[in-house]
Amino acid sequence: MGALQSLPGKPEYVDLAEKTGFSFEQIGILHNRFKQLSRNEETLLRDHFNGIPDLACNPIRLQIIEAFFDRRNFRQNGEGTVEEIGFKEFLVVMSHFKPPSLHMTQEQRESIRRDKLRFLFNMHDADNDGTITLEEYRHVVEELLSFSEALEKDTAKSIADAAMLEVASISMGHMEPDEFYEGITFEHFLKLLNGFEIESKMNVHFLNMDTTTLCK
Amino acid sequence: MEDLGAFAFWALKIWLYLVISLIMIPAMFGFSLGISETYMTILVKTLEWATLKIQKGYADEHLEASASNGLIQREDGSMEKELEELRRSRPKPPVGGDFTLSDCFYFTRRGIESIVEDEVTQRFTSEELVSWNLLTRSHKDFEYISLKLTLVYGLGIFVRYCILAPLRITLACIGLTWLVIGTSAVGLLPNWRMKFWLSELVHVMCYRICARGLSATIHYHNRENKPKKGGICVANHTSPIDVVILCNDGCYAMVGQVHGGLMGVLQRAMVRSCPHVWFERAEMKDRHLVTKRLQDHVNDKTKLPILIFPEGTCVNNTSVMMFKKGSFEIGATIYPVAIKYDPKFGDAFWNSSKYSMVSYLLRMMTSWALVCNVWYLPVMHQQEGEDAVQFANRVKSAIAHQGGLVDLQWDGGLKRAKVKESFKEEQQKQYSSMVVGEDSSNSD
Repeated sequence: MGALQSLPGKPEYVDLAEKTGFSFEQIGILHNRFKQLSRNEETLLRDHFNGIPDLACNPIRLQIIEAFFDRRNFRQNGEGTVEEIGFKEFLVVMSHFKPPSLHMTQEQRESIRRDKLRFLFNMHDADNDGTITLEEYRHVVEELLSFSEALEKDTAKSIADAAMLEVASISMGHMEPDEFYEGITFEHFLKLLNGFEIESKMNVHFLNMDTTTLCK
Repeated sequence: MEDLGAFAFWALKIWLYLVISLIMIPAMFGFSLGISETYMTILVKTLEWATLKIQKGYADEHLEASASNGLIQREDGSMEKELEELRRSRPKPPVGGDFTLSDCFYFTRRGIESIVEDEVTQRFTSEELVSWNLLTRSHKDFEYISLKLTLVYGLGIFVRYCILAPLRITLACIGLTWLVIGTSAVGLLPNWRMKFWLSELVHVMCYRICARGLSATIHYHNRENKPKKGGICVANHTSPIDVVILCNDGCYAMVGQVHGGLMGVLQRAMVRSCPHVWFERAEMKDRHLVTKRLQDHVNDKTKLPILIFPEGTCVNNTSVMMFKKGSFEIGATIYPVAIKYDPKFGDAFWNSSKYSMVSYLLRMMTSWALVCNVWYLPVMHQQEGEDAVQFANRVKSAIAHQGGLVDLQWDGGLKRAKVKESFKEEQQKQYSSMVVGEDSSNSD
């Protein structure tokens, strides 16, 4: 940590910095952004996210927005959803996208990796039963593909089925003809994405901020 | 008590005489006694000194004077490139349809990036300054740096609120009253050539007084490109003050909706002396009617050039948003003008969702000053084979380039409305064509 000289006089940030691992400057930036999005109110609602044009064009915006209101992402082992969030929750959810610092042990990297993958898993496992079922998977595919004339609902369905089959074969190996694949559990998910460098791909990199840009 | 009353009255008289002789008369006739220049020099020196002080106050940090261009570093790749990369670590080739769960990650990351920072929502709040300019409103937390700085800050408050603000309000009132009286008087004259000349004189005088009322220092560049009669002048929009800024240097015909109240009085008065284009609220919905009226005005070569702000709304002067194509369909000569305010001396942006017109004007009158640059760009015509939208974008780029503003494709209407459904489909379409393959999505 040791960034106390950057923003004097912000005791509440110390607590947040410890919890999330963001530096004081980054917390300051995100706080400004929070206030901008919430139009200077104390809490953020789903509707506030709908005001971001770039996000409105994103095919899976609903899942992304839901992720902010999902208690599972608040690191308090909670469940279910909330209607509004304060800055602390906003920051905690954002911390899932924090790039890992350079000096980290293998163990820490592993735990960060699990953390990020858990976040992504939760995004698709809407009913929190621990598995991404075929239905939920299909839902994701439908969201991502558009319903223009070229693509019908059936095509989306068959793409989803094919992808699911592939996942099943990777996770379970050879399946008996009458075995039913229930869905992707978190362990399967981890196995599936073993090759991915999640720690480097799922990050939001903050540019180097100088103090002068913050003293307006 | 009577003595006090008499004294106050006498003081008020002296005050008015001083204001009129030292500021109003020179303003009306376009010369300057040098008072404003002296004030500006002192102000600039003070702000520079303050900046140095603040920087010294944070002396243990490595400092740079430039503002960063963004908060986060984004990947520069397109959707295709990134998805390729994500898929490289897949264990097996796909069975049918090229889809994998990892594709979501790209969209998730993009989504989170837009939540942290996006190009549009930041344009609807005031620009952030590189260094504090000793105004309370532009400093989020007042941290004590040094005694001298605090004293100067306190002195600044006194000067701005107790000396400058009453002065400016007086001038503004005089200016507006003069506009109403002058234009009505000119309107009574028959249509001689004298009338046009007088009307222009009255308008310019009034706007000059108003400009002094805001302590405006305007630098006009490339005046040889000034808009001429029978054309349309197009500029980027930051606040209603833009009108005052532009009209200080020439006469324009305004376009707008008919308002009630004070604005209505002004509008009716202005129309008496020279033709402006005011629309009833219902008429504005009918695009053909609007176009026809503008066309009629433009085709009459004796009428003044029309002043239009194609963005349709106030933006914070760091960027230029989408120009509505209406004014570019008329087929008239377009005279683009770029306006850039210097944020050091005061924030000119009117955040209409946060401040009403009156509180905005009061904020303007209690800022340090208003410094802006106006560039007259060379005339532009619609070219062969270019439709109105392309023409509008061309003009917009020219203005953005000259003023040092960011050229955005987004609609300024997003300040109040949500994104149109058709835009939301764009990314999905692009992704679908990737997944399903080029053949089946050719009919898109």
